[in-house]
Amino acid sequence: MQKVTVGLGLIGFSSLPFVLSKFLFPKVLVDAHTRIPLPGALAGQDAFLEACIGCGLCGEVCPPDCIKFHSVDGGFASNTPYIDPSRKACILCGYCMEICPTEALTVTDIREVDMGTAQIDQVACYPWVDKGVCGACFAICPLGDEAIKLEFRKSNRSAVPVIQEGCVGCGQCVEVCPEPSLPIRIVDRSQGTVARHGVAIRKKPEMLKF
Amino acid sequence: MKDIVRHLNKVRWGVLTIIFAMLILLPFLHLYQSYEAAHAYDLLAPSEKSIYDSMEWLTKPFVKDPEVELNELKGTTWSGTLFGLKMSDPLAVVGQIAAGKNIYWPFLLTALIPILLTVVFGRFFCGWICPATFIYELNDNLAAWMRKAGLPVSKHKLDKRLKYFVLAAGIIISAATGMIAFATMYPPAIIGREIYYSIALTGFGTGMVFFLLTLFFDLMVTRRGFCRYVCPGGALYSLLGWFRLVRIKRDVTQCNDCAKCNVVCQFGLDPLRDDFSQECNNCTACIAVCPTDALSFTLNIKDVPFQGPGHLGHKHKRDEA
Repeated sequence: MQKVTVGLGLIGFSSLPFVLSKFLFPKVLVDAHTRIPLPGALAGQDAFLEACIGCGLCGEVCPPDCIKFHSVDGGFASNTPYIDPSRKACILCGYCMEICPTEALTVTDIREVDMGTAQIDQVACYPWVDKGVCGACFAICPLGDEAIKLEFRKSNRSAVPVIQEGCVGCGQCVEVCPEPSLPIRIVDRSQGTVARHGVAIRKKPEMLKF
Repeated sequence: MKDIVRHLNKVRWGVLTIIFAMLILLPFLHLYQSYEAAHAYDLLAPSEKSIYDSMEWLTKPFVKDPEVELNELKGTTWSGTLFGLKMSDPLAVVGQIAAGKNIYWPFLLTALIPILLTVVFGRFFCGWICPATFIYELNDNLAAWMRKAGLPVSKHKLDKRLKYFVLAAGIIISAATGMIAFATMYPPAIIGREIYYSIALTGFGTGMVFFLLTLFFDLMVTRRGFCRYVCPGGALYSLLGWFRLVRIKRDVTQCNDCAKCNVVCQFGLDPLRDDFSQECNNCTACIAVCPTDALSFTLNIKDVPFQGPGHLGHKHKRDEA
C-alpha cells in the first residue's frame, strides 16, 4: 500500500510541469496576431502541437532570430515556436523548415507558405488617411507585386498599399511599418481574406483556440 | 585491453563534459550567426560585440561562411543535427507517435541510430550522453560530501518498475491531449532547451524549476532517484536494451568480495552478486574502482546467474576448507 502511494506521488510529481501549465494557463493569453505560426507549419494549431517535440532547433537556425517559444503562458503550446512579427519578422529563408526533424515544419515553396495574411488598418496607415507618401511595406515585401501593390486612388491623392492574394504572412511589413500603432497585422487567412481587407473595425482581438 | 577498460570512466566523463560544453557553446554560436546575418557589427552592444569576437576567433579556422556552415552542428540531445545527420531521442519519437497517432517516417528514421545503439549497449545514453546525468552525478558527489559532514541525505529505496508506469502514463497523456508530455518533464530535453533559452532568448523557463526539484529529490529522498525510478527515457532504454549484447561481467576467479563496486554504483545495482540487469547504464564506475580487475565487458545477451563468492575472498576460502 505504501509502495502504491509513493508510486502515485512520484507520478504526480513527474507530471507536475505538465499539469501546472495545463491548469494555470489553459489558453494562450495573448493576441493571436502577435503569435503567428512558422513558415511551412502544419495547418492548424492542434496538428502542429501533435507533431512538434519542442526541441528548439528552428529557433537555433533562424538568422534574424525571430522565432520565439511559448513559455508557460502558452498552455499546451509551451515550448513550441511562434513568431511575433511586430518585434522581428520572418525573412522566409527556409532554414527552419529544412532542419525540423518532425512533420511540424515541412519544406515548402516560399509562395505556398501560409502563416496568415496581412491586413492593413485603413484608419491608421499614412497613405490611407491622407498623411503623405509612405510605401515602406511595399518596398520591403519579399514577394513584391504578388503580395502587395501600390494603387493610385484619387480620393487618397497618393498611392495606397493593398494586400493581394499572394501574401504569405511573413510579417516583414508589420516590422517595418513606421506608424506606431502598427496598422498592419497578420491574421489567419480564414479571418482576414482579401475580400475583407481593410475593414477598419477595431474589435476585441481573438484568442488562440485550443 | 584491461588497462583501457579501467580508464573508460574517465573517457565517459570527458564525453559528458564535451556534450554539456557543446550545449552551452551552441546557443552562443547561434547568437554569433544572428549578429553575422544582421551585418551590423557597429550597432552591437559591447557585450554582444565580445560574444561576436570570441565566437569569431573560435570558429574562424574551421568555417568560411558562419551563417550557413555553422548550421551543420545544431540542437540538443533531444533532437539535433550532426553534419547533416539528424538524430532524435527515441522518446521523442514515441511521444510524437502517441500524440499524433501517425508515423512520420523521416522523423522515425532520425531515431534509428540511437535505437540500434541502445539495442546493443542498453542504457548507454543514460551514462554516456545525457546532459542531465552530468549534473545528477555531480549532485551525487554533493550528497557524498553531505553524508561525510553528517547531514541527512537520501537513503530510501523504491520500486524500479515505477518508471515503466511513468512511461505508460506519459504515452496516455500524450495520446489524450495531443501534446508531447515527455518534452516537459524529461530532464535531458529540459536541460538542452533551458540552456538555449537562457543564453539566446529571454531566460530560464519553468522547466528549470522542475529540474531543480528533481535534484532535490535525488539529494533528499533516494540516490539518483529520478534516473532510477521516474525517468521515462530510462524506462524506454531499459525496454529496448532488454537483450543488449554488451554487458559487464564479473570474473569470479579474480573477485575478492570487497564490495567496492556495490558502493560506487549510483544506480544501486549489485555487481557483487552478478546482478546488472537491464538497468545498468554502462557507466563503468565499478570497473574503474575494482582493485583486482575482476569486472570487464563481455558480449552476452543474458547476465550470468550468481556465481558464488569471489575466489580471492575469505568466504570462498572458508567454504573450500
